[in-house]
Amino acid sequence: MTAIATPPSWAEAVLRASLPCDDFESTSGDLLEHYRESAYPERGPRAADRWYVRQVLGFLWRGARLWAAIIAAGFLARTAFDWRLPTHDFHMRSATTTVLGIAIFLVVGFWAGARSGRVVAGPVLGLASAAVAASFSLLGAAILLAFCHDETTLTAIRGSGGLGEVFVLPLVAVLPGALLGAIGGALGVATRRLRLG
Amino acid sequence: MSEILGGFEQAVLLAIVRLGEGAYGRAILKEVEARAEREVAAGAVHATLVRLERKGLVASWLGPGTPIRGGRARRFYRLETNGVRALNDARAAVEHQWHGLEWPLKGTP
Repeated sequence: MTAIATPPSWAEAVLRASLPCDDFESTSGDLLEHYRESAYPERGPRAADRWYVRQVLGFLWRGARLWAAIIAAGFLARTAFDWRLPTHDFHMRSATTTVLGIAIFLVVGFWAGARSGRVVAGPVLGLASAAVAASFSLLGAAILLAFCHDETTLTAIRGSGGLGEVFVLPLVAVLPGALLGAIGGALGVATRRLRLG
Repeated sequence: MSEILGGFEQAVLLAIVRLGEGAYGRAILKEVEARAEREVAAGAVHATLVRLERKGLVASWLGPGTPIRGGRARRFYRLETNGVRALNDARAAVEHQWHGLEWPLKGTP
């Protein structure tokens, strides 16, 4: 019974996207062995599936957290800059941070695609990085607001798009993060294939 | 002076020592969990093994899979000389810190 027990196929696909291709076979084998020999017989099918998904999310988190921290740091730096050093013309700042954001998500996807050899790794890691970055950014913006809410700063916040923009923008970036990750992933896989001949 | 090891790195290296020729990913995970008496994330052990290999403290190679793994290969690990030295230094450092103190410590004075 347990020998044919199989974890959720989508979770295995996410695991494949989260790991370098050289690591996937042995690591997925370890998880499958533990799933069949320990998790499934000791905890039952549902709990075993939950255990498996938790492990996979752990791998995904480890792949995404550094990128998420970079994205969130960029977002919070821009926010702090707008609040403390306001300007009348945000066009240059917006253009710069938008291009930087696009570049980071493309690099995330490229990195994921190149190391896993799979295009789908790009959107998976792009989505995970953007989602984690959104959490970091919202938390960071809330902390920033808790410390800086004098009248001058509040005027600067209103002038730079308001609090709505600060607390919505990171969430809005999640889907574009996945799309840009997909483009980066395709480029990463193509580069890998060219390099390997 | 060899590499300074973190607590989790020591746990993983000691698991490899205890398991000997049977030290592969899942066996190491189980051994670390048994010693720590808690559930440990497979990703944490995997990331530590990758880091230890990059530092030159362990070496790895692929071995045959088994049916329960769906035939997927196992990655086996063994300590390198630097890994043995790092573990010995870690143990010596702890003993040096404790030197002259009675164990277990009595309650607060």
